[in-house]
Amino acid sequence: MGLQDDVAKIMVPEPELQARVAELGQAINATYCDADRPLLVCVLKGAFVFLADLIRHLEMRHEVDFMEISSYGAGTVSSGVVRILLDLAQSIEGRHVLIVEDIVDSGRTLDYITRNLRTRGPASLRVCTLLSKPDRREIDVPLDFVGFEVPDEFVVGYGLDFAEEYRNLPFIGVLKEEAIRQRANQ
Amino acid sequence: MQLPNAVERILLDEETIAARVRELAAQISADYADEDDLILVGVLKGAFIFLADLARRLMVSHHVDFIAVSSYNRGTVNSGAVRLIMDTRTSVASRHVLIIEDILDTGHTLDYLLRNFRARKPASLRSCVLLSKPERRQVEVPVDYLGFEIPDLWVVGYGLDYADRFRTLPYIGALKQEAHE
Repeated sequence: MGLQDDVAKIMVPEPELQARVAELGQAINATYCDADRPLLVCVLKGAFVFLADLIRHLEMRHEVDFMEISSYGAGTVSSGVVRILLDLAQSIEGRHVLIVEDIVDSGRTLDYITRNLRTRGPASLRVCTLLSKPDRREIDVPLDFVGFEVPDEFVVGYGLDFAEEYRNLPFIGVLKEEAIRQRANQ
Repeated sequence: MQLPNAVERILLDEETIAARVRELAAQISADYADEDDLILVGVLKGAFIFLADLARRLMVSHHVDFIAVSSYNRGTVNSGAVRLIMDTRTSVASRHVLIIEDILDTGHTLDYLLRNFRARKPASLRSCVLLSKPERRQVEVPVDYLGFEIPDLWVVGYGLDYADRFRTLPYIGALKQEAHE
């Protein structure tokens, strides 16, 4: 299939990734109790792999829900204005909400989501992201749980895609330049 | 491991599920080895854990998409009518579509989805289901890849919920009778 051949280097190997997900789970366990019954809001598509592993480490009672959003911007630049394709199945009024993201880049999408969810009157609103690229940040958006801060490179795997490929790589890798060019031309 | 009060027993433990998911992934990888346009369509919410684990074991290139459906249910009785809340983002025309479901019960939801997707003229259309309860079946529906056949118990965990609870248990457990009455 050659997907792994398109990877220039592995930024976060699978064991390190899994260990960090477990640590994030422990940090979340220390933050919420059963009575809080936090609602984990997974932002599709990218975060579903992270969510599937993260929840296995959670010890308090919790629920999951999904949002799918689409940026109006084309290509890899996020305009920050997003369209909600799938909204939450339930009301979050009075609930403790934990947004689960795969990556925070410019921060615009997350900023929009947090502002949107805050208008719904949650009891609390926190953010857990697997990756953060501080160099790319355009809007300061508070992150409560961060897996890894990564440099501004084109990362794929563990839910993160490029042109819908590479999501299922079990590690975080950096794409080769020629793979980016080749897929961008397809 | 301490079970939640409402869970009577573990039906399928983590290792058993993981081993079966590996087998399914190997079979799917072999079957689609010569195809380069496979799209996995996960049915929310229940299928996301199964999909996350299955996709990581696949050796073939593929895309992932999601749909969200809701039954027009009265309580736990499935009327057979399904409402599509979110459709796939991309067209599936002329592509190899594999629908990923957590559980096959009456068969109404999957039957609807297969008919709905067939109308979109995919190159091929198959289904992959983690659990099947044959005793509950009301409509015959083809399953190409099946994880486990299970008896007619109320099961939770690994994506399956009861009123949104127990969805994220790492195993498949059977609820106590009194818990779902």
